[in-house]
Amino acid sequence: MRKVSIDPITRLEGHGKIEIFVNDAGEVANVYFQVPELRGFERFCVGRPVEELARITPRICGVCPEAHHMASTKAIDGVFGVEPTPTGRMLRELLYSAFFAGDHTTHFFVLSGPDFVVGPTADPAERNILGVIAKVGMEIGGAVIKMRAEANELVSLIGGKAIHPVCGLPGGVSKPLSAEERDRAVEIAKGQVEFAKVALQIFDDVVLANADYVDLIKSDAFTHETYYMGTVDESNKVNFYDGKIRVVDPAGKEFLKFEAKDYLSHLAEHVEPYSYLVYPYLKGVGWKGFVDGKDSGVYRASPLSRLNAADGMATPLAQAEYERMYATLGGKPVHATLATHWARLVELMYAAERTLDLAQDPEIVNPDVRNIPTGIVGEGVGCVEAPRGTLYHHYKTDDKGIVTHVNLIVGTTNNNAAISMSLKKAAMGLIKGGTEISEGTLNMIEMAFRAYDPCFGCATHTLPGEMPLEVTVKSERTREVITSVKRFM
Amino acid sequence: MSRTLVLGMGNPILSDDGLGLHVARELRATPMPDGVEVQESEVAGLRLLELVRGFTKVVIIDALKSGRQPGEIVRLEGKDFKGGHRYGSAHSIGLDTALELGHRLGFEMPEEVVVYAVEAVDVETFGEQLSPPVAAAAECVLEMIRAELGIADN
Repeated sequence: MRKVSIDPITRLEGHGKIEIFVNDAGEVANVYFQVPELRGFERFCVGRPVEELARITPRICGVCPEAHHMASTKAIDGVFGVEPTPTGRMLRELLYSAFFAGDHTTHFFVLSGPDFVVGPTADPAERNILGVIAKVGMEIGGAVIKMRAEANELVSLIGGKAIHPVCGLPGGVSKPLSAEERDRAVEIAKGQVEFAKVALQIFDDVVLANADYVDLIKSDAFTHETYYMGTVDESNKVNFYDGKIRVVDPAGKEFLKFEAKDYLSHLAEHVEPYSYLVYPYLKGVGWKGFVDGKDSGVYRASPLSRLNAADGMATPLAQAEYERMYATLGGKPVHATLATHWARLVELMYAAERTLDLAQDPEIVNPDVRNIPTGIVGEGVGCVEAPRGTLYHHYKTDDKGIVTHVNLIVGTTNNNAAISMSLKKAAMGLIKGGTEISEGTLNMIEMAFRAYDPCFGCATHTLPGEMPLEVTVKSERTREVITSVKRFM
Repeated sequence: MSRTLVLGMGNPILSDDGLGLHVARELRATPMPDGVEVQESEVAGLRLLELVRGFTKVVIIDALKSGRQPGEIVRLEGKDFKGGHRYGSAHSIGLDTALELGHRLGFEMPEEVVVYAVEAVDVETFGEQLSPPVAAAAECVLEMIRAELGIADN
């Protein structure tokens, strides 16, 4: 009996572990997924003025600080019982949409793109952004870098600084947008829409034109029928910044629609002794284990989940692509995990169009950007759609606004149960008794994982955006290692 | 004219991971020679590429967890971290990949990259303090970087 192992070489000790146990016949018996934990987050926050959390929580992790800043700012609105002014709200959403476009671009071209563009079983030394630009052309590489830089520029126009914005205050934002800044925002947003068109064209040319990839996306090994969660506006269209949280069942029928502040009434957490990271599930259905179907409370919150949970997109080009995606993949909801990559590009288009719409709205330069709070409620829940799933911040304070309690449910945590299920199913579909387990096979198992764009930086309050992965295949009976694949940083 | 960037990297709220930021702040409190810029950065990967573009030389300061003695200082040069361009984490591309990408895209990239890394004790507990061995090492790194930049001791 042997074990397969993917050891990361990294500057940090903590890393995710996927352990695949196989029986004596070489068939997959079980798969465990574990992530490391950092300590003392709540203790670090308790006793501080709640306004500080909008600057502290983005530092948990370097991947989506902007999402934490927004969810935190909204939770602080709740603590002080104040709503932002219309322009304050629009500026927050403008910043957030620009951030989303940049983040989704990175995922497609840098993280998931290599699997498709270079190939899932290609030499790992080539399966990266360098391999991608070697295939699709240097000008695309330059366009990706420019897109990211301009998204950061727009974030800093509103946020005060790139990456870690400081603009969010209870009741609005800290400064209005000048006419010159607005002009630049419009220019950037127009470029983002053009870029999104190019990204969708590349997806067409590279993925959809390749029958093997389409078969892979539709294959049973990468399919789960679960509930889906996402934030929707009044017309049940996808919204990243605000709205109600809607959950649809595996048949696509609305199961729940609730206000963020009521999240504890609808979500509960299952724990397993081998993982620090909890497994949220739908209270109304109940925890039935790591299983699919209508009777299992497992839900997913991802780009594909948001599209499944909504009735459409609020902007025209994204709506057209939304319709094309469902027509191609056989109608709603789509259960194919790898279709998440297509959904992410539909959302990229929406984020770009939304950025442009907001930047062109005459009210965006209105100087009335903040309502000053006059009282204190002492509790608030802030919720946004983070790129990786619905993000909840829940704070309680004393009557002076000093933090007494903090609870976060972050994007990836929502998907913890589904990620475990996807890994197991992919492993069972790809590892067969009597055949050698190659690096390419393990990479394809990891593709089930990467589709969720998982990020455990804040899920376990862990390492700043770096989540090296170790995959080991072990004997179920002897616990001996069968194979090992190392992941270098 | 040659331009040098001193980049302190890390996370300000994860104990010893704040080392690079701490050294950069101390360094910036003293006058710098012409052409030398000091920045603090909490980012990696592609965002790092965007920071280092246009500089001739980059000196990076960071914490490290590699099984060495706590507080041990390691000086690495470009050749030391060319380990192939694999990507292993879900969200980071390595420093070497970021630099290689910049070169291939025809950006003006640094000719020289030097990393000062200090073996950390704890990068997994939320806190703003450095552990004693790392705090002591931070003082040494500060002096080594001043020497690297050709700044005479006062």
